[in-house]
Amino acid sequence: MIITENLNKHFGAKLAVDNLDLNIPAGTFFCFLGPNGAGKTTTIKMLTGLLHPSSGRAVLGGYDIQKQAVEAKRLLGYVPDHPFLYDKLTGNEFMRFVAGLYRMEPRDFDARCTPLLEMFEIAHVADQLIEDYSHGMRQKLSFASCFLHDPKIVIVDEPWVGLDPKNIRFVKDFLRRKCREEGLTVFMSTHTLSIAEEVADQIGIIHNGRLLQLGSVSEIKALSRRPGSLEDVFLEITRDVVETEVAAP
Amino acid sequence: MSQVFAVILAKLRMAGHEIASVRNQSRLKVGVITVSALALWIGTYFFFRAGFDWVINFGGRASAEFNFGELLMSRLLSILSLSLFLLLIFSNVLVAFATLYRSHEVVYLLQGPMRYDHFFYARFFECVAFSSWSLAFLGSPLFLAYGLSMKVSALFYFASVVFFLPAIIIPACIGAAASMGLVRVFPRLKPSVMAVIAAVAVGAFFFYIRNVLRGQRISDDTVLPVFLAATGRTQSFLLPSHWVAQGILAAARREFGACLYWFAMLVSTALMALLACGWLANRIFYPGWSYLAGQDRQRFRPMNRGVLNRLAALLRRVPDPARSLSVKDIKLFWRDPTQWSQFVIFFGVMAIYIANLRNSTALTEQPMWRSWIASLNVGSVTLILATLTSRFVFPLVSLEGRRFWILGLAPLTFRQVVWQKFWLSVCTTSLFTVGLGVLSGYMLQLEPVYFWLTVYTVALANFGLAGLAVGLGTLYPTFTEDNPARIVSGLGGTLNLLLSVGYISLMVGTQTLILQWRAVEHFAGTQWFWYALAAVLVFDTLVTVVSVIVPMRLGLKNLENMEF
Repeated sequence: MIITENLNKHFGAKLAVDNLDLNIPAGTFFCFLGPNGAGKTTTIKMLTGLLHPSSGRAVLGGYDIQKQAVEAKRLLGYVPDHPFLYDKLTGNEFMRFVAGLYRMEPRDFDARCTPLLEMFEIAHVADQLIEDYSHGMRQKLSFASCFLHDPKIVIVDEPWVGLDPKNIRFVKDFLRRKCREEGLTVFMSTHTLSIAEEVADQIGIIHNGRLLQLGSVSEIKALSRRPGSLEDVFLEITRDVVETEVAAP
Repeated sequence: MSQVFAVILAKLRMAGHEIASVRNQSRLKVGVITVSALALWIGTYFFFRAGFDWVINFGGRASAEFNFGELLMSRLLSILSLSLFLLLIFSNVLVAFATLYRSHEVVYLLQGPMRYDHFFYARFFECVAFSSWSLAFLGSPLFLAYGLSMKVSALFYFASVVFFLPAIIIPACIGAAASMGLVRVFPRLKPSVMAVIAAVAVGAFFFYIRNVLRGQRISDDTVLPVFLAATGRTQSFLLPSHWVAQGILAAARREFGACLYWFAMLVSTALMALLACGWLANRIFYPGWSYLAGQDRQRFRPMNRGVLNRLAALLRRVPDPARSLSVKDIKLFWRDPTQWSQFVIFFGVMAIYIANLRNSTALTEQPMWRSWIASLNVGSVTLILATLTSRFVFPLVSLEGRRFWILGLAPLTFRQVVWQKFWLSVCTTSLFTVGLGVLSGYMLQLEPVYFWLTVYTVALANFGLAGLAVGLGTLYPTFTEDNPARIVSGLGGTLNLLLSVGYISLMVGTQTLILQWRAVEHFAGTQWFWYALAAVLVFDTLVTVVSVIVPMRLGLKNLENMEF
């Protein structure tokens, strides 16, 4: 469902993403891990078409995101880490606006909007201006609008910021259920390793733009020199790279 | 180190970094801004110089028996001084509110162990800098022109610089005090009372402006007494602006004692105003800030209710996504209070223009003047339109700002987004400006050919100016800025304004040429006038097509290559 082939991105002399090859099948919950500045957000922006790759390509649901952008984006839903929304619209108006962008039929919109707002517990503020929302409420609205057009692929960039424990649990379970029951493909970047360990079918660890490890949670954990949590393995893998790079002339 | 000094020093360092970052900007951008700023400064100088020279000549030569020149000039300086004083008070009310109450730094500074008067002084420095830099920029050519026209001594220029600081501190203090007072009182009023007060204030302002600008015939015998009586009011001893004018005029006449006296008046009042503001800040700043921060901010806008939702229903036949994008743009515009104030000013200019048209009908008896009035009317209406597109249409793409990811992710092309903004602009601005063209043509009793030429040109200009504004707004977007006024003041905004004025000059200039040629009966026959007019109309239409296609294509290409 998500394929990247030799995906590269340069910012001037800096290589932010280095020959990234991924093949994530439909219905997979993929967690993308890496330290700050590793290249996670750059990869996500290339997958969503917000950044042009320097070379290589990203294919979503069979459509090249650069060459067949409109077709690929019909399948795609995205939740950014900082939900910049239109502050002077209400939650309801924002949902209606998104429905217009996706050319949804009014009856489909009516059938989906209210249940989503209720599911994310923001129906009671749906007629309130977004500028009065808390960060968590904005994040929930961002999730609700992302699922409005029933996407087949959802890309989520560090979604837990601003969400309370109850909502973190809800979002986690919701995404997992969608993967299992409806074949949704989730590509999630996160620093919360305990959640990744809990939900991921597949994990990719990126550092300095290079994909260091790719596999299931158990495969990644087996790479450790001693048994431990995913956090221990992650720190060990990324520390090894730092040490190797420091030792190199 | 004092707290006030620490904050000011940090702000100065930030300003220094900002200035240093110019090195990283594109040379074209820096070049265009520098050249535009210089051109504006030099243009302002020549404008005032010509005006002052005219006034001196109007008053008579110095050796003549009756010489009003110097008297008129001193009155003019008093008027300018009072106008700047009032403008500074007004701008400081707004700037102080943003700086003292709405800035992100306020919360950080207030959580520190800082007294409220110290907090006020630390932020007041920024208010003064913000509200007065433009005064320094536009005031300097004015005083230079005044000095050179009056051939004054060097002390005049020295006094102009020295008087500047106390002269801006007094209105800044009045503005800041008014702002603190309004925050303390205004939010507690009922919305209906607030609306009535705002409506009365705006109405009174425009009534005053309309009366001031009411046309007086220059040939009337009453004009000088009326002028002197009216300007006498600007010379009240109680007005600090009068002290500034008198002090600088005393310096021009080398009257050192008088100059020092007015300077002492000004400095002592400025220091007293600062102390009074500190005292006021200690008492009313925090209660006002706290009340604002604790207000119920649950603003509900139910669907299917209200004017905006009815307006959205009117657009139901427009296909999506153009409809959703247009409804969103209209709602965002309507709900942004910073846009209203500009819109009210725009309507005020339109109202004043229409109100003053009645004074121009006396000249319509001669063919040459009829032709001139028709051309000037087209120029005025299209310039109003250019103001509208430069201020409200140019920032439309930039205002998507950090929310551009929403459009970037949606299954639509940037071409659809950019053309939607073009058509939204054409449809909304046409409503006002074609209406204004028809109304002004009717009020000026233009003959049919002039009337329809006015309507056609204004309608055409809606397309050309929208193309320039949307195209250049897309070519030079500022996605990190949410304030439309700041977006407009950048490179793209300046370029758009210059090109819009160029476009209007080209259209109106060619038409004026043909109409004047006809008015002075230089055409060999009537049919040659119609051929020439047809050629001009085709030329104007082609210019408009180019003004739409070229900037729109360049802008679109820029957007498609952009990364978010």
